[in-house]
Amino acid sequence: MMAGRIAYMELRTGWKGLLIFGLLISIVSAGIPLIFPTFRDSLAEELEGANKVDLELPDEEGGNITLSWEALKGATSYTVLEDNRLSMVTAKLKYMGNETSITFEKDFEEKRYYAVTAVSNASSDPVLIGIATTEKGEDPFQELMKNPVYAGFTGGREISMLEVKGFITLELFSWWWMLAGLFVAYLSVSMIASDFENKRMDMTFSTPISWQRYLVEKFIAMSLVALFTILVGAVGLAGGLAGVNALHEFSINAVVLSLISCLPFLLVIAAVGMLTAVSFQKVRAGMGLTFGFVFAQFFMYTFGNFSRSLEWMKAISIFNYWDYSSVIIDGLFNAGDFIALAILAIVLLVICVWISRKKDIPA
Amino acid sequence: MQSQRSKIKMDDAKTHENVLEIGRLTKMYGSHVGVKDLDLTVFRGEIMGFLGPNGAGKTTTIRCCLALIAKTAGEITIFGLDSHRDAVAIRKRTGYLPGDFGLIPSVKASSYLKYLLSLRKCDSTKKMMSLAERLQLDLDRKTNELSKGNKQKVGIIQAFMADQDLIILDEPSGLDPLVQQEFYHILREEKRQGKTIFMSSHVLAEVESVCDRVAIIRKGQVRVVEGINVLQERTGKVLEVEFIDHVSIDEFKLDGVSDVHLDNGRLVMTIHENLDSVIKTVSNHRILNMNLKTYSLEELFLKYYTEQKVEDTGDT
Repeated sequence: MMAGRIAYMELRTGWKGLLIFGLLISIVSAGIPLIFPTFRDSLAEELEGANKVDLELPDEEGGNITLSWEALKGATSYTVLEDNRLSMVTAKLKYMGNETSITFEKDFEEKRYYAVTAVSNASSDPVLIGIATTEKGEDPFQELMKNPVYAGFTGGREISMLEVKGFITLELFSWWWMLAGLFVAYLSVSMIASDFENKRMDMTFSTPISWQRYLVEKFIAMSLVALFTILVGAVGLAGGLAGVNALHEFSINAVVLSLISCLPFLLVIAAVGMLTAVSFQKVRAGMGLTFGFVFAQFFMYTFGNFSRSLEWMKAISIFNYWDYSSVIIDGLFNAGDFIALAILAIVLLVICVWISRKKDIPA
Repeated sequence: MQSQRSKIKMDDAKTHENVLEIGRLTKMYGSHVGVKDLDLTVFRGEIMGFLGPNGAGKTTTIRCCLALIAKTAGEITIFGLDSHRDAVAIRKRTGYLPGDFGLIPSVKASSYLKYLLSLRKCDSTKKMMSLAERLQLDLDRKTNELSKGNKQKVGIIQAFMADQDLIILDEPSGLDPLVQQEFYHILREEKRQGKTIFMSSHVLAEVESVCDRVAIIRKGQVRVVEGINVLQERTGKVLEVEFIDHVSIDEFKLDGVSDVHLDNGRLVMTIHENLDSVIKTVSNHRILNMNLKTYSLEELFLKYYTEQKVEDTGDT
């Protein structure tokens, strides 16, 4: 009956902060899916005058492209500009004449845009008839996904920002570690280091409790905070997905499982926070080191994607063992990684207890 | 002095049960000495005062006893248990008021005290309420709204509320005078119930009014351990007399009298024995005023330190 009193007191005194953070988490988790349709539509929007321009691409490489367009009444000549950017700021002249259709060889691989304009007797300024592209409808973020930095978030998987799964993976989960991870880091350090700094330890340890019990109960409190964060995030995300009718693409199970899979990841951060708090007994030192640990782990994981020679950095980063993309994209929950991180958290907790027994409580 | 202390120790062992025994305790903070080869014994059922100036090592000794800090060398046993190996078992029977402490914020004082009771697996809410009433503490106040004095009351209540066999108090002062008196009553009551109390203080009047014995610590070492009465007798009583007549200082250089000073008809002397002869000599003259007092512990403390300083410098 008396077990859990320290954890209970921790949660009791910190419930206001937890509530505010829970609100923030739910707003972010629900808000991101809600902006997905607007985001997707902005990417899928047709090019200006695309219905007046037709681009026929060859089936085979090295064939001819046929570009045709609607004739403009009173037009005296047509101009076709070619560029690899929609802005056309570096456009080159492809054609100028009276024809409404041209054919030319496809001697390039990258994306190209073609803008067709007309000059008429009615106006001295050219009039835009329409724009066509060789890779119409492609996700403009596709190229970015090949970047090692993004590959870190996706696990190297082919994902599209035009799909809700891809969007949530990149826009929510790639930031979740910062939101939840740093909150857990902050709490885990302050709940112990502030006991030292505010001279509460003497009173606590005048009662017959051991360091082991004190730290285990604090860890339990942190586990509950992490679980609360995950559940609030899951409810917010599910609500947001339901709001945009996307639950058929991203089931409730996947939502919960993808977030639950980060529980041991957060617990490792919590254990590191407790370790620094017990070792340095100062909030600022503990906070700096724990935040540093989280960012260092993130950068190690990111750099580990840059080249094979740096893959060892990825292997020793805790980010490597929270593969949310596996759940979201592949529908697979990696229990091995989950257990490995949970064991690491427990090992860190044991070290924390060992260090605490060696250290004096400052007067 | 050493042989006398050894004798006292042997006598103590015959007649008292030791609750707390400290043997050659040393605590170093890097190169700084906290306490060095400190020996001390506290008997069951007594109130033991632990006196010393700031930085003498009182808090270090107490915190070593409760395993809040590691010891560099030496032995501490409480209830026959090792202070550090059996810390949890010892704390089950020990109440402790730290010298400087903080409370968990934003909870009612009653909630905080109940929380501490729950950590002790003890349900003595009744005693907690009674102590709060006696010390005039409103338990419904939030801990972060309490004044320094009221925080001290919370600390005192938590030290006593669980009916512990040994209560260790580190500088239990800081209460207003009326409440302080009530606190002394509580101490005496606890003693009557067989509790052992070990309290450090530099408020010497406090120790004088409640303690049975006192240990004086200086530079990390216990220099003297005495019963309060014995200590006061050894240092004597101070007589101050203002004469109307002219008197000679030689008249008062009697057996058992020391530190005789005469200044403008005002005579001050320390009487160790032979009070009767002194009073008769005084009565040979017309007097304006007279005051006979015991050394306060404060004066005793200063006197002791002055003597030690003289001994240390080898000056006689």
